[in-house]
Amino acid sequence: MAATLCVKLLQKQGWLPLAQSVRHGSKAVTRHRKPMHILKQKIMAVTKYIPPPRAAPPGAYPSPTRRVQEDNGLVKLMKRDLKNLFQDCKMLAVVQDNASNAEEMVILKHRLYKHGITVRVYPNRVMHSFLSDTVYRNMAPLFIGPTVMFVSKEPKVTPMLTTLRSSPHVTLLGACIDNTLLSAEGVLNYSKLPSVTVVQGELVSGLTMLTSSTAATLQRHPAHLSALLQQYITQQTAGPDSSAEEAT
Amino acid sequence: MLSFIKTAAGALSGVCRARGHLQGPLHCHLKVIAAGMKMFEIPPDYSDVVIPEKPKLKFLDKVPTLKKVKKEMKKLRDIQGPAKAANSFTTGQYAVVAMGGGYLHWGHMEMMRLTINRKFDSRTTFARWRVNAPYKPITRKGLGQRMGGGKGAIDHYVTPVRYGRLILEVGGKVELGEVEHILTEVAKKLPFPAKVMSRETLEAMQNEQAAMEQNNQNPWTFKQVVQGNMLGIRRVCSPFDLHHHGRFTGKFHLPGRV
Repeated sequence: MAATLCVKLLQKQGWLPLAQSVRHGSKAVTRHRKPMHILKQKIMAVTKYIPPPRAAPPGAYPSPTRRVQEDNGLVKLMKRDLKNLFQDCKMLAVVQDNASNAEEMVILKHRLYKHGITVRVYPNRVMHSFLSDTVYRNMAPLFIGPTVMFVSKEPKVTPMLTTLRSSPHVTLLGACIDNTLLSAEGVLNYSKLPSVTVVQGELVSGLTMLTSSTAATLQRHPAHLSALLQQYITQQTAGPDSSAEEAT
Repeated sequence: MLSFIKTAAGALSGVCRARGHLQGPLHCHLKVIAAGMKMFEIPPDYSDVVIPEKPKLKFLDKVPTLKKVKKEMKKLRDIQGPAKAANSFTTGQYAVVAMGGGYLHWGHMEMMRLTINRKFDSRTTFARWRVNAPYKPITRKGLGQRMGGGKGAIDHYVTPVRYGRLILEVGGKVELGEVEHILTEVAKKLPFPAKVMSRETLEAMQNEQAAMEQNNQNPWTFKQVVQGNMLGIRRVCSPFDLHHHGRFTGKFHLPGRV
């Protein structure tokens, strides 16, 4: 009380006590614990020991060293089948099967079978283990999730794409056609190409046209040929300007 | 081997039959005897244990022999925090370890000495003090005296003990099981929490504390918070907290803290 009064008096004079005297009370009682300040209680609560998380019981996780599993008979058979498939077939399309039911699948199979395309399903693990040893190992990333293979001995891309367009649950991922790995877009571009015979015919016709034209000029009168050659020389000497003018 | 057992069983049944014939038909039944190998534990090797010449606890003086007695202040610091001396084993195997601070009177020491010297076999067991005889004077004012008039006269002497100090050591050709019940009985009567420990358990306790400090998953530790004076927490902490990182409050040890 007296101290507060003093402080009040002193404050009026415009002087603040710089140092406050703190009384450290008696600490002689050791019988019980000293009551803790609330802030210290909070600090004690915050800085509690937290044990590390309990380790997983042994056997909860598979061992880090992966066991080399020996192939059973079925896997061997499937691998042999796959080997034959990759040797024989020119078109191997990998297709994702998004929850199409059995009926749809049967219909799709039937439609593809009309064009001589068969549908093959292999487990991805078998597929990966087969592909890792072959030259087709770049195809391995395609086999993720539920995948189905469309297989045919001839590269019949257009009928396959038309059937795929009619079934919405099935998506083309990529294909290996004539030993060339193609993406889905690549397959589309491939389907737009004309057939090999047409291209060959075009090539042959182009080549024969040149030879036939030279033969025709040779068979004409020599004066005509010389006139043509002269005109060619004049065009060459006149330079590109005249040729450009002529062109315009 | 099998044939031998068979013959033995046959002989036994024959005996039973003979007895049953004598005593009555009710008792005639064959007892099946299961034979097995009993493996005894190899007793511990005490060949390297040397019992000292005086294996019993020494009598401790009630009052130190001083030329000039001097009154001291309370100095409660001498029971706060962990013990820096006599916190590990020297010659013995088992010990009574203080789990908190406190003052040992001459009476406590006499109790320990009498109990242990009476109950232990001095030919196989020895005991050693790890505390000094009472040396800290405690003053009291006389009965019916008015307050004031200066500090009172010295009443008695005590020995301050800190957390983790060994009070007495026991060794010899004994196992922990043989001495534990006597030592726990003694430890219960001390003025601070005390425990019976062997060399292994004490080391395990220290290792556990070290492991806790090592593996603490709490990013905030008392040491870091108080040393960094976070949020001005030093206002409510004592310098004692700065040293012991909140593991002690006065003479009390707070278990399970780092």
